[in-house]
Amino acid sequence: MRCVECNYEAPVNKFRYLYNARIDDSISMRQCPKCMAWLIVDEFSGEVKQKAESGESPWGKSSGL
Amino acid sequence: MEETAKKEELGELVEQQQWWRVAEKTRSKRLSYLRKAVWKKGALGGVYTPGLKICLELPRLFTEAWRKNEDVPIMLRKARALANVWENIPIFITDQAQLVGYLGSAPHTMVWHWQAASMINEEIYNETGIIPEPEKESLRLMAELNDYWGGKTSLDLFTKVVDPEDGVKFMSGAIGWGTPSSAVTYATRDFNFIFKGFEAINDQIGRELEKTEEMTQGTPSPEIIPYYEKFHKWEAMQIVLEAAIAYAGRYARLARIIADNFESDPKRREELLRIAETCERVPARPPRNLQESLQFDLFVNILNRYEAGEFAWPSRPDYTHGSFYDRDVKAGVNKRLTENEALDLVGEFMIRAYDIGMFAPRWTREGLQGIVGTWVWTIGGVDEDGNDACNAMTVALMKAARLVRVANPTLSFRWHPRVKDEVFREVFECIRHGLGYPNIRNDTVLIENGMYWHGHPIKEMRTWVNQACMSPCPTTKYGCQPFRMASCTANTAKMVEYALSNGYDRVVNMQMGPKTGDSRKFKDFEELFAAWVKQMEWIMNILIRTVALGRVKDPEFYSRPMLSACYERAVETGTDAVDPSNGERGNTWITWFTWVENVDSLAAVKKLVFDEKKYTMDQLITALEANWDGDEEMRLDFVRNAPKWGNDDDYVDSIMVRCLKEIARHSWEIKGPEGKPFPPLPENVSGNIHYANIVGALPNGRRLGDALYDGGVSPGPGLDRKGPTAVLKSVGKIDHITQGRAFLLNQRLSPIQLAGDKGYNLWKSYMRTWDDLGNDHVQFNMVDDSTLRAAQKDPEKYSEVIVRVAGYSAHFVDISRKTQDNIIQRTVQGLG
Repeated sequence: MRCVECNYEAPVNKFRYLYNARIDDSISMRQCPKCMAWLIVDEFSGEVKQKAESGESPWGKSSGL
Repeated sequence: MEETAKKEELGELVEQQQWWRVAEKTRSKRLSYLRKAVWKKGALGGVYTPGLKICLELPRLFTEAWRKNEDVPIMLRKARALANVWENIPIFITDQAQLVGYLGSAPHTMVWHWQAASMINEEIYNETGIIPEPEKESLRLMAELNDYWGGKTSLDLFTKVVDPEDGVKFMSGAIGWGTPSSAVTYATRDFNFIFKGFEAINDQIGRELEKTEEMTQGTPSPEIIPYYEKFHKWEAMQIVLEAAIAYAGRYARLARIIADNFESDPKRREELLRIAETCERVPARPPRNLQESLQFDLFVNILNRYEAGEFAWPSRPDYTHGSFYDRDVKAGVNKRLTENEALDLVGEFMIRAYDIGMFAPRWTREGLQGIVGTWVWTIGGVDEDGNDACNAMTVALMKAARLVRVANPTLSFRWHPRVKDEVFREVFECIRHGLGYPNIRNDTVLIENGMYWHGHPIKEMRTWVNQACMSPCPTTKYGCQPFRMASCTANTAKMVEYALSNGYDRVVNMQMGPKTGDSRKFKDFEELFAAWVKQMEWIMNILIRTVALGRVKDPEFYSRPMLSACYERAVETGTDAVDPSNGERGNTWITWFTWVENVDSLAAVKKLVFDEKKYTMDQLITALEANWDGDEEMRLDFVRNAPKWGNDDDYVDSIMVRCLKEIARHSWEIKGPEGKPFPPLPENVSGNIHYANIVGALPNGRRLGDALYDGGVSPGPGLDRKGPTAVLKSVGKIDHITQGRAFLLNQRLSPIQLAGDKGYNLWKSYMRTWDDLGNDHVQFNMVDDSTLRAAQKDPEKYSEVIVRVAGYSAHFVDISRKTQDNIIQRTVQGLG
């Protein structure tokens, strides 16, 4: 997996698992061990989708209404 | 013209639901000033506000007198030390304030309870940013204090008597949360007794002393021996009562000095003189009006927090102060205040409570983000005869809450069928204004609950208050509970984790629970369930063993002269209020953190492994040990295709009820030192975040690191897919009287859907269903995602947005990113 912030590349489990966006989705947050950026990761494909920013969608998206 | 523009602006703010700005525009100048003239004492996530400092005057003055009194029994020694503090600690009066008293020596200080634990003292010494200037000098004093108190603190003494294995497992941090000492405690109080006034209580003690003296000078017998122990306890109570009156007297003198020498505004001068008269009256004698009544209450709460780390504020302010409010505000010969003036006093009372700060170690700050302690004030309900107890003060508190918008205290409303619509509408308005409170408690259910578990007579149980967030405790002579037993908080997700790991904890790398068998070899669900029952019993047993010992030893290791002087049964018997042998009926419970994961996990294993045989136990345990890494498809199967709590699905709901029946059975087998059972009380505060990195991967699909579910019986965020009524129906399958003390339910509602009268009526219908199903608790967040995300991006602009975390509320910007995300993840339920 490659960090979109600093291009560091390593297997997905080398990026520290932080927590999920929703338990019923495969999106999670991991941390780059090199630049410490918080990354939004698709656990199925093992790809970084984007760097996590405050208040970022889809992060923290509610269910229901 | 100006008035019209102001109205239009207000109208726009209401429409945009910017309630914090509405409050700023509508409250009095005094409340605005006082609200802004306080330091935020709750930690932001886990870090204190820059500029906030530890009060070193308190430990210095206390220790100075403590060291001079080495040869006297502990309660007397502590009373003399406290008296030295109250006689000498610097005091101040905030401009425009009408209520006085502060916990600490300056407005930017919070107290440190150095008598709690050496490990906490060391943590404070090493905490950056909170050491007062000049830092070098402060650190030298702290080092001296730490050296002196090392080995003498309550927890240090406790570790010398606790079973070493219990001690190590408890201190691992994996299964329990808290300290078995009055250093971290919650105590209920009986204001019927306290409002007699400290002079009258002191006189009563004097009479008891005279009687005892006669007895010990009379004919010898075994019966007189225990009386020798009472002398010094009564003497200690007298010392703190007199010192408390003197402490109030210092404020009276200060107010007069400012009025006579420095104040040029005649109106403020008059206020200062009224403060002086108030402090000359209370706590010495009974209050006569609202200001005196609130001031008395405030003094009692502050003085008790000088003595001990009281991290909750159990009270029923409308019941305690309502008659004074009526007398002052209602038309008639006694009228002293307009409604707005009374609202200023009530609002200030809330601000003064918000202003109280006590240092908490990091693990506590993570579990109670954004606040100091759980100041959950109980309002509404019935009186001792079963009549509606709501009064004008009930409404005033809710109106004041919307104006001052503090996150602490919060309100808890005791709902019953005879609550008037105009009062219930006020409850709704507070929730609609995004306060996250009041939470709603079912009075009828909880009165019966207290009678069932602790044998309180109905009249006494009707006086109940939340002892912390949730547990209903009577405020009567034998109903009051003086000791929270904070270590009696269980990280219950470990029950299912240990059932699957043969009692071994892979996070702390230790054999914690009993060896209940290799779960890879379990043949059916019954084997797993039997292992779960054993782990559940083990966790309850170890926590309560610790707590019971701490409770019994507390008068010897910590001692509470001030609290004892406020407890009628302690005054009558010459005992420490915490002494379990003085007639207390008790209000014991175990706070049940991270509970619903047990149910969803057991249901997932039953369904996918044993019923459908889609996976083997071996596959499951391998995946859990790898934290689901590389098994994403399987993990999602366990999340999406196993039944989840909160959807009115009997498959999983029956497992919830079965588990609770087992726990209730064991609760009765356990007996505390006062001989009472320890029923469960599922709730989380923000422990679901604290334990995220302590609870391993589970079959409900969570990984180590993920936040746990947010409420005591709230469904997992996003997993309640069948709507709000299904959630209520699931929760309604629990017997809220016989299966636990209370069950916390968080719900999120749409602020747009619930606007206006239509919204109120929708909500009322929902509440009717909630009551019909016999549920005991519900609380709401009514802030939309877009506001919360905007607050994450621009925290300064949204600094006053409040959310309901769990048993308490907090300003959204004061909680950690992870907790913020967890709140946003909760399902927004549509009603109707």
